[in-house]
Amino acid sequence: MQAAWKRVIDFFFPIQSDEWLTILRIGLAIQVLLYCLSMRSDWTYLLAGTGRGLISRDLSEATLSGESSFIPRLGWLVKIGSHFGLSEAVILDGAWLCLVCAACLLVVGLFSRTAAISTWFFHLCAVKSGGLLAYGMDNFTTIGLFYLMLSPLPDKCSVDYKFRNVGLKNPQLHGLFRRVLQVHLCIIYFFGGLAKCAGPGWWNGNSLWRALTNTPFNIISPEILVKWKDLFPVVGISVWLIEIGYPFLIWSKRTRNIWLICIIVMHVAIGLTMGMYLFALVMIVLNVAAFGPRWEFARVKETFRFLRFRTGF
Amino acid sequence: MGFKGVYLAGVIFHLLLVLTVSCRDTFVVLSKGHTIFPSNFDSSWREAENLTTAVIGQDLPKSNPLRQGLGAYLNAAGIEAGYGFFAPHVPGTYKLVFELHYHDGRIEYETPSVNTSSAGLHLVSLLDFIGQVEDGVVREGMIKFLVYAAWRKHHDVSMIRAVFGTVDFPTAREFERGGRESYQILYAYDVTFEPKPVPKHQR
Repeated sequence: MQAAWKRVIDFFFPIQSDEWLTILRIGLAIQVLLYCLSMRSDWTYLLAGTGRGLISRDLSEATLSGESSFIPRLGWLVKIGSHFGLSEAVILDGAWLCLVCAACLLVVGLFSRTAAISTWFFHLCAVKSGGLLAYGMDNFTTIGLFYLMLSPLPDKCSVDYKFRNVGLKNPQLHGLFRRVLQVHLCIIYFFGGLAKCAGPGWWNGNSLWRALTNTPFNIISPEILVKWKDLFPVVGISVWLIEIGYPFLIWSKRTRNIWLICIIVMHVAIGLTMGMYLFALVMIVLNVAAFGPRWEFARVKETFRFLRFRTGF
Repeated sequence: MGFKGVYLAGVIFHLLLVLTVSCRDTFVVLSKGHTIFPSNFDSSWREAENLTTAVIGQDLPKSNPLRQGLGAYLNAAGIEAGYGFFAPHVPGTYKLVFELHYHDGRIEYETPSVNTSSAGLHLVSLLDFIGQVEDGVVREGMIKFLVYAAWRKHHDVSMIRAVFGTVDFPTAREFERGGRESYQILYAYDVTFEPKPVPKHQR
């Protein structure tokens, strides 16, 4: 019994450096900034209440209340703002600005914990209030921000650590939170692959063809795609094999790098061929933070040191 | 036990929730049929779906504090939905077209639009959501919201016909043989608008 308990503790509490947290923090902050910038011109139109936007935010929030009344939403902020005489448009713009500011603080790691909580909160409000418009990318960003908010911040690369003398946390806590992210990713890919594998279209290439030709994912012309039609069954099967194989092959040191590269290539391909750039980015950030090998982090650091030396900074 | 025990309990609870939600959504996908599994499994998938739904408290009354609490946690952590994207098969795209009828008899066509491709992906999600709504009244209500958004840009229309349908793209082989995408109308709704009163000085 004691041996089993020890094995569980050893699995969930490995001693871990904070490099993964740096990747997660900076990666998610960039993700949120790009999300904000890409949504700026449609922000109010997509999130306004009845009679002012594309579809009523009130409708999304009413649906949300069916799940739980405690889920953060922009409607709360609008209500608070109205007590102070602020219009809905001002509150929505304010929420956008708060999200951008929080993400900027997160990039540099200044007031890391507060920035992480604020980013999670404002992002969640936006995503849940536009719930009818949300897709996978929003969910994965929420997952990442949720873990980041609870993680043992700050990390060594943050302003908090370097200039504000905020100490690092227990390395075993780093191990725990990284482990949770790792297990979560394994569940994500396993079930994603399983559901795909159940569809005959992912065996004969039809689903891949449809995914690449459906609007608005039809970045590549079907005239070009059809020339590669014989490859579709192979690529379709590879996609769900990579996903199902993830929880089994990502843990072993021998196969980890190969599988990580496969999954990153898959996400880069999704980004480039289907125009889902933000989805691709968040998945790559989560994967590199969870399973990125130490030498990768060291190499990135070396590159930065070299660039700083060359540029004289 | 100490702090590790507390953390571990929280982590195991969290991961079990992730696992349960993932199982539930996979069972939902499988119970709909059209998979490589024999169709007589469908009822078993449905039973498994009901079981997992019960585990996460979704079959409790909406006001139940446990359901409210779990719902809030699942949404806050981003784990309220499974991960079966584009699975088990990729559905056709839904398309909404507005037929704008003007008082002078003109007819124009328009589709809901946003400024950026990133927001465009969100719009596609909305149309997918509307396409999957089974309740006709809810679906009509949602489409009328979009009609109203279109009307705000075209105040002078007398009627907007919203035509909701699916765009089906041929398979690669059919495409090679000259097959092209087809639009299948699912629902159409007419919304009429009163003409705006013309100010006296313009008469």
